Amino acid sequence: MAAISRTFASQLVNRSYVNVPASAGALKKAFSISSSSRDEETQAPTLASTKSRSSAGPLNRSLVNAAPNTNYQTRLQHTNTTTIPDFSKYKKDGNNYDSGRAFTYFMVGTTGFLSAAGAKATVTDFLANMSASADVLALAKVEVELASIPEGKNVTIKWRGKPVFIRHRTGDEIQEAEAVNVSELRDPQTDAERVKKPEWLVMLGVCTHLGCVPIGEAGDFGGWYCPCHGSHYDISGRIRQGPAPLNLEVPEYSFTEDKLIVG
Amino acid sequence: MSLANTFYNTLVKKNSVFVATIFGSAFAFEVAFDTTSTKVWDSFNKGKQWKDIKDKYVQ
Repeated sequence: MAAISRTFASQLVNRSYVNVPASAGALKKAFSISSSSRDEETQAPTLASTKSRSSAGPLNRSLVNAAPNTNYQTRLQHTNTTTIPDFSKYKKDGNNYDSGRAFTYFMVGTTGFLSAAGAKATVTDFLANMSASADVLALAKVEVELASIPEGKNVTIKWRGKPVFIRHRTGDEIQEAEAVNVSELRDPQTDAERVKKPEWLVMLGVCTHLGCVPIGEAGDFGGWYCPCHGSHYDISGRIRQGPAPLNLEVPEYSFTEDKLIVG
Repeated sequence: MSLANTFYNTLVKKNSVFVATIFGSAFAFEVAFDTTSTKVWDSFNKGKQWKDIKDKYVQ
């Protein structure tokens, strides 16, 4: 295998200008042909036997191939390269190269910025196609009239398929929620972290234990009570007792002047 | 002639400037193209779009 690959490699790089049989006289002849001028071109008949059988690799170029025995004329590749054709017909007049160069770069730049703008527009269109449309975004929000909820009452609304508890808390309840020692809670959160306005408590009505819906105004801590496994939440929706690991989740919401927008 | 030289020397000679010019022109072209095409569309569809007839339905 190694021998084969070596042979192949040597054939690949084996470029010779004249294919010659490996004899001293032929080598001398080939050298004199490839390096000399036309004086000897009439005396080249011995090259008829130079077409070698085995050394013809795929890249094995020879500039002189086997020739007929009679009337032989060597066709040398590298003759008369010093004579340069007259290109003046195709050249610009004088030294006026600058405008052509500027025009070429102008065209390159124009092509560049047009394709950049086109590429950006294509990508933008695809991304805009993937984002949520206006009707989907409108359905993802729920508005609640705040004036319809009296103080000390709970309201449960449906938002994205889940219940959301809204409680209009009284002053006593706010004080009670803020008076809790946060360090002894299972999921330590102050009341201020859970509400935007202290009188409005907004949170998802899904027990963080196994997803039941807790019952309002029940339980040992004056807040919510989950009947499934007995989790007690306080008036700020924080877990106080029972198996639930986390406080009730607070969704994204915001207030307009008289409305609450969940979502 | 001098315009060509000015163009070449200021914008093309440094590749960073050339590339920055290309992206800047792309941005400007995009804004101009969008504005123009929107104007053409609006003038072609005058009186048919919601923003044109909104006054009749929304107080």
